[in-house]
Amino acid sequence: MSAMYEKLVDILVNHFAVDRGKITPEATFEELKMDSLFLVEFLLVIQSEFDVKLDDDAATLTDTIGHVARLLEDQTKATAQ
Amino acid sequence: MTAPSPVAVTGLGLVTAAGIGVEETWEGVCRGRSAAARDPRLEGLPVDISCTVPGLDPARHVGRRSPLMHDRFIQLAIVAAREAVADCGLDPDTWDGARVGVVVGCGLGGIGTMETQHRRLLESGPESVSALLLPMLVPNMVAGHLAIDLRATGPNFVTATACASGGTAIGTAASLLRDGSCDVVLAGGTEANVTPLMVTGFNQMGALSRRVDEPEAASRPFDQDRDGFVIGEGSGILVLEREADAAARGARVRARLAGYGASADAHHITAPEPEGASVLRAVHTALGQAGAGPHEIRHVNAHGTSTPLNDAVEARMLRRLTGDGAAVTSTKGVLGHTLGAAGAIEAALTVLAVERSTIPPTANLRHQDPALELDIVTGEPREEKVEVAMSNSFGFGGQNAVLIFTPGS
Repeated sequence: MSAMYEKLVDILVNHFAVDRGKITPEATFEELKMDSLFLVEFLLVIQSEFDVKLDDDAATLTDTIGHVARLLEDQTKATAQ
Repeated sequence: MTAPSPVAVTGLGLVTAAGIGVEETWEGVCRGRSAAARDPRLEGLPVDISCTVPGLDPARHVGRRSPLMHDRFIQLAIVAAREAVADCGLDPDTWDGARVGVVVGCGLGGIGTMETQHRRLLESGPESVSALLLPMLVPNMVAGHLAIDLRATGPNFVTATACASGGTAIGTAASLLRDGSCDVVLAGGTEANVTPLMVTGFNQMGALSRRVDEPEAASRPFDQDRDGFVIGEGSGILVLEREADAAARGARVRARLAGYGASADAHHITAPEPEGASVLRAVHTALGQAGAGPHEIRHVNAHGTSTPLNDAVEARMLRRLTGDGAAVTSTKGVLGHTLGAAGAIEAALTVLAVERSTIPPTANLRHQDPALELDIVTGEPREEKVEVAMSNSFGFGGQNAVLIFTPGS
């Protein structure tokens, strides 16, 4: 998987006490027991971590970790150009 | 007037500067040595001492996500409530949660979280502020978290009467049993506001002891050299049931909550009313419910903050009420002043004193203020049968809560 995905996994494990073993690119936030407030907090943390701007509705509970990783990759590429 | 139906205390939970757990706290309080110490969180402030709960690991004691979502005042209450529920012998997995209420006293809420997030706002802008700020800050969240943790879906709220909050919660909880709203109530208090801003605020109003070079001697209720309180943190939770219900299920009744009285001074925003007239009204209400007279009081767990004014006014009131017939103690000598938790922690310690016929000593009472003509327990715990015990709590704002405990039958 991408380096970005691996960084998101670290954040989920270290900030949100998610079991590393349960995280896959296809896992949804809901499946990782991230409720709506935790998801908002997660989006705030990654925006600050990667210095990007995401919309409030950039991800929902039924989205996957892989989806957010791709979103961030697109954002950081766009910023780099 | 018929006496209200009696309420039984069937479970206790304590988290204090003397330790995590009822027995750890009881041993510490009976040892009579102050838990006050220098506090690194207060480094650089004029008063940098506190009574802090030792060794609490939220991820281990509460849950893996606790550090993310709970302010410390909530963590302390969850640990105390789980202990109390385990002690009472009821099982949250099988109880009828709709009949279980939660009433928790809390003076301030998650001020530590607010201070951290406010700093982030000023230093790094609005996008750096946590989405969990509000659920960690507002005081009522502690009752909400206990409901979630223990599947208690009955009446659920927080009482705020400053340093009387815990006593107010327990007294109010008894009403929920008597009016039939609940069959079980988890009642108590919690506070964890040993933060730079709160300590500064208390110091600016002259309430804190300045004996910072000798922290273990700073909290000295009723001593002639007392100069203010030492801020503490902690939580105390009691499980209350109607006595008939407790008897029907064969529960161990640790003591009976026999009476509660509340009143307001309407005198001054922070200073107690000098004659203690409103406190006495609360005492007489509580005694009336208990069907006891003032001279039957054998033990008082005093509010006893170690401020010059509180201890003088309270001692005068107690002298008028009981003569020298009651063995008085202030456990704040050991535990410091835990603000909204104090009334609940001290209620639990009063229950233990009644149950065990043992009155803990007041720490640091070396020279009893000669103006305070009371029988204050000092040095060693005193073995004495206690038929009627009183726990006093007084809050800034002039709010008073008085609880009467008697032995369980």
